[in-house]
Amino acid sequence: MTKHIAFDEDHVLHELKHYLPSQTPLKDFIHHNSLHAFQHNEFFEGIFKASSLFGCKVTLSLNEFRKLHTLGRIRTEILTKTILDKFGEADFPGWLDKVLNKSYDFNILPEVGLFRKNWQRFYHIDLDNAIQPLLFRIIGSYLDQGIALWHFPFEDKGLIAAVKLLEEKSFSSFFKTQRAKNLLFEQNLSITGLLKLLVGKETLFQEYIFDQQFTHRGWSGIVGAIEDNPNSILYPKSVTLKDFIILELLLEIDALTVEFGDNWQPLGQLVPKEPADLFAPIRRTELKEVLILWQMAFEWSYYDEVFAGIISLQKQKKSLPVKDSSQINSQTEFIGIFCIDERECSIRRHLEHVQPHCETMGCPGFFGVEFFFHPANGKFYEKLCPAPVTPKYLIREIESKGVRGHEILFSKKANTMFRGFVITLSLGFWAAIQMVLDIFRPKMSAAISDAFAHMNLTSTLQIEVSTPIVVENGLQVGFTITEMADRVENLLCGIGLSQNFPPIVYAVAHGSSSANNPHHGAHDCGACSGRPGSVNSRVFSFMANHIEVRKILKSRGLIIPEKTQFIGALHDTASDEMAFYDLDLLSPENKLKHNLNVVNFEEALDLNAKERSRRFASIKTNKDIKHVRKSIQKRSVSYFEPRPELGHGTNALCFVGHRQLTKGLFLDRRAFMNSYDYRTDPNGDRLLGVMKPLPIVCGGINLEYYFSRVDNYKMGAGTKLPHNVMGLIGVANSSDGDLRPGLPLQMIEVHDPVRLMLIVEHFPEVVLKTIQSSPEYYEWFKNGWVLITAIHPESNQLYFFKNDQFYPYTPLLKKVNESNDVHVLIDLATEMKTNEIYHATQEHIPVHILN
Amino acid sequence: MNPYIPLFVIIPFIGFLISLLPSNHQEKIIYRTVFITLLSHFLLLIWVSIQLYFHHNGAIFFEGPALYKANNENFSFHLYMDNQTIIFAVITDFILLLVSTFSKTYLHREKGFKRFFNNMLFFFLGLTIIEFSGNFETLFAGWEIIGIASFLLVAFYKDRYLPAKNAMKLFSVYRVADISLLLGIWLSHHYFKRSINFQELKSLDIIYLGNDHDIYIQAIPFLFLLAALVKSAQYPFSSMLPRAMEGPTTSSAIFYGSLSVHMGVFLLLRTFPLWDDLVIFKGVVIVFGITTSLFATLIARVQSSVKTQIAYSSIAQIGIIFIEVALGFHTLAIFHFAGNAFLRTYQLLVSPAVLSYLIHDQFFHFVKPNNQITDNFWGRLKISIYQLSIKEFNMDTNMYRYLWNPLKWIGRKLRFFQTRKALILCGLYLLVGFYFIFIKKYYAESWLHTFSFIGGLLSLGFIFSAFESRINAKNAWLQIVFSQFLLGQCIALNEQFEIGQLYLFLSGIVFAAILGLIVLNRLEYFGQSILLNKFHGYSFIRPRLGVAFLIACLGLSGFPITPTFIGEDLILGHLHENQIGLTLLISLILVLDGLAIYRIYARLFLGTFENGYNPTAYRSS
Repeated sequence: MTKHIAFDEDHVLHELKHYLPSQTPLKDFIHHNSLHAFQHNEFFEGIFKASSLFGCKVTLSLNEFRKLHTLGRIRTEILTKTILDKFGEADFPGWLDKVLNKSYDFNILPEVGLFRKNWQRFYHIDLDNAIQPLLFRIIGSYLDQGIALWHFPFEDKGLIAAVKLLEEKSFSSFFKTQRAKNLLFEQNLSITGLLKLLVGKETLFQEYIFDQQFTHRGWSGIVGAIEDNPNSILYPKSVTLKDFIILELLLEIDALTVEFGDNWQPLGQLVPKEPADLFAPIRRTELKEVLILWQMAFEWSYYDEVFAGIISLQKQKKSLPVKDSSQINSQTEFIGIFCIDERECSIRRHLEHVQPHCETMGCPGFFGVEFFFHPANGKFYEKLCPAPVTPKYLIREIESKGVRGHEILFSKKANTMFRGFVITLSLGFWAAIQMVLDIFRPKMSAAISDAFAHMNLTSTLQIEVSTPIVVENGLQVGFTITEMADRVENLLCGIGLSQNFPPIVYAVAHGSSSANNPHHGAHDCGACSGRPGSVNSRVFSFMANHIEVRKILKSRGLIIPEKTQFIGALHDTASDEMAFYDLDLLSPENKLKHNLNVVNFEEALDLNAKERSRRFASIKTNKDIKHVRKSIQKRSVSYFEPRPELGHGTNALCFVGHRQLTKGLFLDRRAFMNSYDYRTDPNGDRLLGVMKPLPIVCGGINLEYYFSRVDNYKMGAGTKLPHNVMGLIGVANSSDGDLRPGLPLQMIEVHDPVRLMLIVEHFPEVVLKTIQSSPEYYEWFKNGWVLITAIHPESNQLYFFKNDQFYPYTPLLKKVNESNDVHVLIDLATEMKTNEIYHATQEHIPVHILN
Repeated sequence: MNPYIPLFVIIPFIGFLISLLPSNHQEKIIYRTVFITLLSHFLLLIWVSIQLYFHHNGAIFFEGPALYKANNENFSFHLYMDNQTIIFAVITDFILLLVSTFSKTYLHREKGFKRFFNNMLFFFLGLTIIEFSGNFETLFAGWEIIGIASFLLVAFYKDRYLPAKNAMKLFSVYRVADISLLLGIWLSHHYFKRSINFQELKSLDIIYLGNDHDIYIQAIPFLFLLAALVKSAQYPFSSMLPRAMEGPTTSSAIFYGSLSVHMGVFLLLRTFPLWDDLVIFKGVVIVFGITTSLFATLIARVQSSVKTQIAYSSIAQIGIIFIEVALGFHTLAIFHFAGNAFLRTYQLLVSPAVLSYLIHDQFFHFVKPNNQITDNFWGRLKISIYQLSIKEFNMDTNMYRYLWNPLKWIGRKLRFFQTRKALILCGLYLLVGFYFIFIKKYYAESWLHTFSFIGGLLSLGFIFSAFESRINAKNAWLQIVFSQFLLGQCIALNEQFEIGQLYLFLSGIVFAAILGLIVLNRLEYFGQSILLNKFHGYSFIRPRLGVAFLIACLGLSGFPITPTFIGEDLILGHLHENQIGLTLLISLILVLDGLAIYRIYARLFLGTFENGYNPTAYRSS
């Protein structure tokens, strides 16, 4: 972050890209920290820096906090403790008054954008209005993946090269003046060269570029993201941020020349301005301190309740027998391994309730098998593992019976003149009927994203390598026996499942079906790069069932009994339906057992649907449970439903530990849960492997929800309703608008913006060692972007991590709510009146101990 | 039979009033109001249509109350129902029923839930008034209502910059259409010496006398055509349609996908008897139709955003419908309208789904397109057309370059009118003028005409300067009021004239002017800047003042049913058809006053409100 007096083009572009939104095209939705560029700062330092640069809101507003306090959602004792911890006894009354009563001036003038505003002040010209509509149209058409019927000519040449060719051959022009056109064809066309004309003073170049690109952060961000990940789009386009900036600078020169002829002075000459250091550290103001206090009190009001719940739950239970081999007793009917996703938290609870003789576990939903997937007849591969991983394997679908239909009304031919004429006069009337059907009898169709269609139920996969090993595009087709054994061992030992296997182990992946939803990928499995995890669950089950694999595992001490079988499954988190794969492989004995288990799953799904329905205004929760289930299913295929499900909204916790830690605790679907057994790993050798993906996956989800919640305008995508799909890569409002990265309002309104609290069941020193394993991993915790607490497995003492150390923490809440019946809790829950935070937060049900 | 017809207008009106009562979170009550309104309208329509089919053949007419009646001036509210009415109304009701049911869930928990449905019913009222109108005055009332409803729905997300800007853009073009329609009505008054009913339109024998009058009767259809071109977003007005799609997808679907945009077709069909024999006019309609569908199709082909593509495709089909109407294929035109309306509504409603649908399709069927472009004349022509289509054939920029920018330029030159001196001088001029009105019989007519014309020029000067004003809103508001007074005086001096009509006109103005001033004073009292240099977005903190000011604007700009409107209409009646200069002057004033008035509303109450406290949108989003 040094100040660059001399303008270094590459360096500035690199910096710029770092700060621009890095969301890739919507086809794959990968959650990430919206302010990732500030992650090397301490959390509050970073977010307030972002706020002063870009003008975004980074916490709730003071009024909202105060209302939450009046409401009791922020507890006074916690607020008191927060102030005392930070400022001590002596300053307490002063700060309390500031926090509760003092009024502040909130105006901030974002630093980015200040300099370029001077065009308007000194030249009375609105450059943004003059150039943005055309600029967005050009870049939109250039990147378009398949909406336009007519492609951008020469699009394979690169943006500027294509524009040059166009200008050379066309009788028309994008530019209004010869001057801009001449500049385009100059030998040494460069950003620096153009900036000399526009800005003049070299010291101001960097500021100008930042100002300019952040007036349309959406488009600039997508250009940068596609440049860095060309594979994020199917229809390849070669584009660079550099070309995009050059085009914009040319259009600016063009617009200025139209207005003022050839004689206008560069902006830097006219504006008396010293270069500002955009990246200098910011001043801590009193207002910021107050907001920090409130934010911490807001977070801890919830964490404290959770901690109190855990402690009193542990007191009720006898602690786990140390190193007892029979943790899963012989009565266990089956085990379900679910994704750590907080949406699976409730179905696990219901399943355990319906069938007390089952166990549920959690692991990241790609089940430790990373690969690209090649569907039958597909022209591309799909990555099915967490985003940062680059797999070396390919799984091919050899045969698929499922044929995807076409929706005739989605035909682009209706948008041409003559065919459009025929279509409006014929299919136009069919559209009327279809509209009635879609509104009153919604059902699944090819135009709806269907989680189960990702891989057909009966398709055949090639999972094991053939001999000789085939390599396709640098990827090994299938896994070898040893590779399979490694993965199965890693996963099972990681979650602490190494003994006492029941007859059937289900690997339950998840996906989500939704209609009319450009953000559908955000509802799928984050550990599978925003796709349903069905293939992974099948591949994992195949590996674990493989006789040769079991032989190797046996030699390593992991004995899976012969009668135990693994079954892949997929849970649709929107429609609450489930599918099981490869059932014909089950032994006759297990088949019978499975048929019984399915009844349990069905019942759990009913209950899960009912629990979810409490947040949906269209469904009456206390109606007949089958009816509720049906309504839930209907939502997922309704075009008019902008909330088929609520995604990760409300997420706040992440557990790493044995299910006993949370079993019996009602957490209202707010916790990611990763199974882990400290007893099988006393030194924490496997802990890093287990915890490694959590900050990036769960923390990424949590922070994206956090920032989209606190400023849905600048960091979120705003309300979904006016969204217009641009080039199949993003959404914008209106036809001339900027792309809107981030999450739409409908996904975040139930969310309380609190940071993720990671709770690990292990000795604090082991946890400390684990998180300090690498500097970039440690950064998450050290800077407080993800919070972490260790729970001592033997004493059940909580240790909270701050300032590089774990400190003991004792919950302030003395009495934890108890309940005998989850359904009573759900039926009595409040429904939000509006989606303002102080109404929305009342929908959350406090932590309860279930008796 | 006749007694039922008024119900078709009364039901939407009552529904609209009831929908204003609940508060925003009473979603069920709001929706039920809408649903019952639409359903009862629909059922009544079906029932009456069946009756009509069996008992009458053709059409029914309802003579409504006269809103103003004096001597030979007659301003009545007539209704009329024929097959065209029935088909348009059935499709309107059907689409609105479906889309409102769709919207009930779609808009759940939206901050503007109630506002959306209020607007929708208001729009419905406007549509039914047009469809059931029995004379041009009534039709015009409906026409204005949809204009305002459109303006408010484009600005639905009023806390962002682009909706505010595009609402103004849409309104400006609509205003041209409205005044064009008004002029057409005025000319037809003169030609027929009375207000014509649609019932008699078909049997009306229009005889070309071969004298001076011909030019007027031939100008009438052209004025109606201009109105139709704008409403149906035909060339050169097409670029406003995609930009109007700022509201929730469902409102874009009904307004710009299907219903509002076809009202131009309705107008052409209604006025067909007037131009049945005018071959040249038919030729012009066909040329516009062909040009539009050609350009719009090309633009649709290159669009990379889905809603814009649908908008242009719809425009292209409407171009063809215009041709069908001109060629006399009216049944085909109506079928085409129905098919286009259904298809575009559906396409827009499911437009967000194209992302997953097309990506999936691409995943299995992608073939990289062959990009070979031959380097000959045809290749180059193709590229040129591509580039022009991307630029929308400069339609959007031309609108600025050739229309708004020159007007603004004149406004800047006339800044003198913003000064206190100008206001005082004109106040004196007004006083003298009103004195003349009472004693005008003592003065020579030619002298009075000159005085009146100068008054008209001054009025124009004020309105120009108000239209461009970037300073205090109160100043601009006063300029507009002055301009209206000067206008009234100008016409009153023009000929023998009943003073009551002037009072009617001015009473509306005075009420609106005072209400507006109160609102502006309140804003100042609350410490808000009322400079017109940017969008302030005060609706965010002062929603009630926003509504009050909107009412003031409606009053001042002569919204139908306000006294100003009736006065305006009557006053126009006093222009002689040979006073081309004065007519043009007054039309220009009327176009600009609407723009200047709503501009003040937009600048003050729309846009982003920045107080550093609540999150706000970036300007480009």
